[in-house]
Amino acid sequence: MEFGTVEREIYVEASPEVVFEVVSSPKHLERWWPDEARYEPVPGSTGEIVFGERGGGGAVVQFTVVDAQPPRTFSFRWTQPAGEPPVDGNSLLVTFDLTPSGGGTLLKMTESGFREMGWEIAVLEQQYQDHVTGWDFYLPRLASYVATLEVRP
Amino acid sequence: MSEAVLERIDDDLWSAIGDPTRRRILDLLLVDGDGTATTLSEQLPVTRQAVAKHLGVLDRVALVWATPAGREKRYRVDDAQLARAAAQLASVGSAWDARLQRIKQIAEAIQRSQED
Repeated sequence: MEFGTVEREIYVEASPEVVFEVVSSPKHLERWWPDEARYEPVPGSTGEIVFGERGGGGAVVQFTVVDAQPPRTFSFRWTQPAGEPPVDGNSLLVTFDLTPSGGGTLLKMTESGFREMGWEIAVLEQQYQDHVTGWDFYLPRLASYVATLEVRP
Repeated sequence: MSEAVLERIDDDLWSAIGDPTRRRILDLLLVDGDGTATTLSEQLPVTRQAVAKHLGVLDRVALVWATPAGREKRYRVDDAQLARAAAQLASVGSAWDARLQRIKQIAEAIQRSQED
């Protein structure tokens, strides 16, 4: 195990185009991670993601898109201090790599920067885990979400 | 121990493990069972003095503990402390497992809705 980096891979039965949309667009991000996401999914775009309620005890976190090449790769940096450019040492780098595979998509996620950021950021990351506690919270949301999806040609 | 002190120790623990040479030293100690600065430096491309310095860092965060061995100290890995460091990163990994499961469900729902 490489300390300081988290790597995960998952097979998704959906086209790379669909998966790219889900991992990159703010509206989808809000369905699988923060409560609120504000940014443009283009390289260099800076915005923020919010866990909990903005102004009501929630955590507002800086978020900058690093790379966006549909439908192959999407990467961003987060947790940098407000007003500072995100670089090695002040932020975590998350990269999604998408590879077509057997009619679906192999999605690889890498998060790095823990070594440079120190222990506290790992604790911070762990806390976000509690924000969505899993299927109990998620399943009712999914059902209503799927019902609202537009059917595209 | 106060919370602030605990946090500082955690930060030190993290940066102690962050260094590649120190991780290599931990690997060697785990494989060999124990080692001194001299025996470790024979297996590493760094001087005995440098290894001694790294062992000092690992000792301060309780990742290793030492017993006297002649003019040197003999070091062993503290299993509990190493497990604690590994568990912290593993919990970040499990947070991503949950997120990726949700990404999968959302993407597959969209795919199905497009095919219907």
